[in-house]
Amino acid sequence: MSHISKVEVEIQSLDDLKKACQRLGLTFQEGQTSYKWYGRWVGDAPLPEGVKQEDLGKCAHAIHVPGADYEVGIVKTSNKYQLLWDSWSAGKLEKVLGKDAGLLKQAYAIERVKRESKLKGYRIQEKRIDNGIRLIMTL
Amino acid sequence: MKKIIIDLLDNGEVHIETTGFQGPTCVEETQFLKDFLGRETFKRLIPAYFVRVKNKIIKKYLQLCG
Repeated sequence: MSHISKVEVEIQSLDDLKKACQRLGLTFQEGQTSYKWYGRWVGDAPLPEGVKQEDLGKCAHAIHVPGADYEVGIVKTSNKYQLLWDSWSAGKLEKVLGKDAGLLKQAYAIERVKRESKLKGYRIQEKRIDNGIRLIMTL
Repeated sequence: MKKIIIDLLDNGEVHIETTGFQGPTCVEETQFLKDFLGRETFKRLIPAYFVRVKNKIIKKYLQLCG
């Protein structure tokens, strides 16, 4: 029996997010309570779920991205963490993190899968494919 | 051999595919991955799902998408 699933990544582990930052050469700023952004909400994109306009710019931790003028804020909401960041091109974040921070989510997912799968006894191989990274887990 | 293939795409999407599992265990065996990665948005059972179990083809699990 086989099946195919698609999963939308949610950040649940700060430890794995820190490892993802290391993987991408980013700096996790533990306890930094604000992040650099345009500084004013211009309404050109929907606010993230559960985030109000006055919450923008505030965070529990932040990620500094070398070569970018803006930063990523990390906010805890219920049982997960949200990434808040300004995708305006002048901030140069999207260039490093990809659209919707896809490369950061990818790196996080790799670290999370590797850690949890090893605990379950899987052997893991990692290889680059055209549009991402493939992890092959075998028992 | 039981195998789980996870494609972590550059756009942040995650695709999980299983091979070599018997019966409904593939869904159970990958549930832990889905639980810690986030929210499953799509699931499709592929033909290998329809295996004969105790001389009976289980069709009640037929799920083409969603």
